[in-house]
Amino acid sequence: MKANPKDVLTGTYYIDGDVACGYGALAAGCKFVAGYPITPSTEAFEAMCRRGPQVGAVFIQMEDELGSMAAVIGAAWSGVKSMTITSGPGYSLMQENIGFGAMVETPFVLLNIQRGGPSTGVPTKTGQADMMQSRWGSHGDYEIIAIAPESPQEMFDYAIKAFNLAEKYRCPVMIMSDECVGHMTEKVVIPEADKIEVEPRRLFKGPAAEYAPYKPDPDLVPKMAKAGDGLKLYITGLVHDERGYPVKNEDYKAAYVRRLIDKIKRNKDKIIEIREEAVDDADVVVVSYGISSRVAIKGVEIARENGIKVGTLRLVTVWPFPDERITELARKVKAFVVPEINYGQIVFDVARCSHGHANVVLVPHGGAGVHNPNDIADAIEYAAKEKKKIQGVVEHKTRLEKLVFEGGYKLKE
Amino acid sequence: MNSLISALHKGIDKSGIDRTKISVPSDIPFVPGVIKELGVDYFQTPRGRAIAFGTGLKLGNPGLKVIPVVGDLMTLGGNHFVHGGRRNMELLVLCVNNFIYKKIGGKPTPSMPAAFSPYSTFEEPFNFPHLGNSCGAVYTARWTALHTEELAQSISEALHKRGLSMIEVLAPGPDYYRDINDIESDILQFYYENAVVKNNEDPRNVAITPDEKIMVGKFTDKERPTFIDSYNVQHSKILKDKFTPHGTVSQEQKASGDKNV
Repeated sequence: MKANPKDVLTGTYYIDGDVACGYGALAAGCKFVAGYPITPSTEAFEAMCRRGPQVGAVFIQMEDELGSMAAVIGAAWSGVKSMTITSGPGYSLMQENIGFGAMVETPFVLLNIQRGGPSTGVPTKTGQADMMQSRWGSHGDYEIIAIAPESPQEMFDYAIKAFNLAEKYRCPVMIMSDECVGHMTEKVVIPEADKIEVEPRRLFKGPAAEYAPYKPDPDLVPKMAKAGDGLKLYITGLVHDERGYPVKNEDYKAAYVRRLIDKIKRNKDKIIEIREEAVDDADVVVVSYGISSRVAIKGVEIARENGIKVGTLRLVTVWPFPDERITELARKVKAFVVPEINYGQIVFDVARCSHGHANVVLVPHGGAGVHNPNDIADAIEYAAKEKKKIQGVVEHKTRLEKLVFEGGYKLKE
Repeated sequence: MNSLISALHKGIDKSGIDRTKISVPSDIPFVPGVIKELGVDYFQTPRGRAIAFGTGLKLGNPGLKVIPVVGDLMTLGGNHFVHGGRRNMELLVLCVNNFIYKKIGGKPTPSMPAAFSPYSTFEEPFNFPHLGNSCGAVYTARWTALHTEELAQSISEALHKRGLSMIEVLAPGPDYYRDINDIESDILQFYYENAVVKNNEDPRNVAITPDEKIMVGKFTDKERPTFIDSYNVQHSKILKDKFTPHGTVSQEQKASGDKNV
């Protein structure tokens, strides 16, 4: 299905990532936004509030993020595409309903413009420390899809993709952006509506008596329905059978939750998007995502000038994780270097998948800023030279870390 | 719960609203058979989120009638009720007040008057109709589980109110600590003996206290613009013809007998 021309602001713009994401969501057909303002994601909400009412999208500033997330799921069940926008502290509050959304298989999109944490952290500056929260934040077993764009153009493009994935797999999709990309202003080209592919909702179209909200299609994803169609929906966060009715026994629990996980895992190849460059003859591969992948470009350049064979692998979708590809590369390369703006999150998944075949070097950053490309270059150089196999993850001491920690957790005067 | 369900049946019938257009988000588990019988769409939300979930349902499809059925209203999700009232979101909130979280072994709730826990409670309870009225609800009422006819009448009236309505239903629940607290009679008997109908009483005066009679009846019935009304007015004023008012009634909805959208 093509996008509705009314929803698409075709043209060339000079806008920031937040606004681009808002325009992307509207182009994808988003008709409901509930949120609570939080730096640094506010611009996205504002863009949608400004443009939304002109294209029939309703927005509401809820009383808190708990309510925002609940309203977004409610709106999805009323039949419209819906999303919310937040950052760290709000994201924590949303976890309860994210689990509910995943459990009752609700398609919705969540934009998280990550900021420095933990807690209030550094609200106006960047971070990438919510990556594991996006995967494991709510209680119980479930799977979601997470995307990490690296530019305003990608914020637009992947906002559309996020909605398409949500509809296709009936699951929450997180756009795990960060303050740098959110507030970065660049050229964004918005194509004509007929060039934008939009996934329609997988609605059930048969006799009401035959509808079971959780009866999966062959790809393990069930057909969606909406309230008000006389289907007598029974939707609950309790473990349920195909009709949606609560069940308590072990085998139903196993079957249901297994399917929730497998509908993403088995469709992994269709979901995962990674960008590789020069990995074939590389000694070291830099694995990165979001803003860190843009900073890494310079680090890789410096290392190449020093004669090191470096390739890059960028995780466009972070969850589900490309396990097989990392394992495959681990057998060929000496080491992976993983720069991320946290003290080690995705790096442990890289280590898990390399099964000890390649060394894994973390270039950490505490947040409120991005890496110094020289640190990434140094880490690549170290990784290329290190001959012995090292168990686990090696943490590269960056210039900033040395500055902070050589004085015994105190900054030098 | 049974009285509430039978009152819901009667109330919906009386209101003449198409059952397929009714959604019931609730944090209380309903038995699937009951929902099938009621013929509505049901969503069991996380605890306390029924009103917020209902807000999304209503705004996503203004043709729906949304009846959040909530347990103890003011603990989890109290804020959603407060702001729902302020916005005058079109929801009919049924608050089932049984004074005690029965399912988890009789722990007291914020609505509990002193006398229903092992060592009694020392906290001031909420007066829900007063709270609802202050937050801007257009309709508040309270009935016990014995007043099924009156409750049904209230439900049918409230379903046609434009805005947030709140009906508190006093249900039998506090059995656990009856002996310790010297409440000898059956709780329904207690309601029977102590409930006094006082329609149009000022909601400020209807707090439930252990020593006084329980006042039931319809306490608030007023008009205010709903969230969607104000949303449309505000955006039409600024955006003029660039804005299509939200929730424009379709012929299908008109035909379904819903006079309220």
